[in-house]
Amino acid sequence: MGDLVKRCIAELAGTALLVYFGAGAAAITLMIARGTDTGTPFNIGIGALGGLGDWFAIGMAFAIVIAAVIYSMGRVSGAHINPAVTIALWATKRFPAGEAGAYIIAQLAGAALGSLLFAASAGMDAVTIGGLGATAPFPGIGYGQAILAEAIGTFVLMMVIMGIAVDKRAPPGFAGLVIGLTVGGVITTIGNITGSSLNTARTFGPYLIDSLLGGPSLWVYFPIYIIGPIIGSVVAAFFYDYLAGEGTATA
Amino acid sequence: MKCYVCAQEGRSSDAVAVCIVCGMGLCREHAMREELDMWEGGYPFPAKKVKAKIPRILCPECYRALRGK
Repeated sequence: MGDLVKRCIAELAGTALLVYFGAGAAAITLMIARGTDTGTPFNIGIGALGGLGDWFAIGMAFAIVIAAVIYSMGRVSGAHINPAVTIALWATKRFPAGEAGAYIIAQLAGAALGSLLFAASAGMDAVTIGGLGATAPFPGIGYGQAILAEAIGTFVLMMVIMGIAVDKRAPPGFAGLVIGLTVGGVITTIGNITGSSLNTARTFGPYLIDSLLGGPSLWVYFPIYIIGPIIGSVVAAFFYDYLAGEGTATA
Repeated sequence: MKCYVCAQEGRSSDAVAVCIVCGMGLCREHAMREELDMWEGGYPFPAKKVKAKIPRILCPECYRALRGK
């Protein structure tokens, strides 16, 4: 029991760091771009300063903090820091149900803590202008399209986790770097479609603290970031097992 | 095989083990046994120390190096 508590604390801290630095980078970009002519309604401010370069920068912030959390806490809790990852490991019978529930609660609480700490660090502009980096579909993107984009992005993330970490044949030591860079790359493309959450907790934290501190209320979009990531990650885990399961030859 | 350490001291004794690091033959007196912890798991699963330990036979020199002495 004490061991599970420590692991949940690691998940909480890891997810808090993810949201502080990753979602925080999106909030900072919006704050820097404040007042800039965005030119097109599809650009809400992120991308105004350097086109896709802004999304790449945000992606790199995510990449670096994900690598840092995996290398520092991967051995403690497994550093899922994402309910979709925990659910996919549970669905494929790699993670016990009771612990999965505790992990998800810790991840959601950690995400809220990360957003709260970011608001405390950056001030109320981070809430009112930056929205604490909350994700939402961009103008012209429908609900179904957003779910599809989130599912595809999380599918890629989970496939990489399966290939570089879960599979015992994977070369050791690369997981943090490769998974971080994967998320960074996905954000560069999907960022301007859905905000590229790939993670229910990463969206939950900014939503909750925005609501508490008077920022934008985006809860109507929350199901996108529950359904999309969970479908994407679970499908990826089963798909990987089908492709690379026992009896499958490798080069 | 003879014990290398004993041979250096001008004695002759049969080796009962081999240092896993440098490969020198060791008699019972000079063979140092070290039990190393074994871990399973690791990202994306928590790492857990398993009950079983891995025995390692070392010569005195390699044992001191392992211990940083």
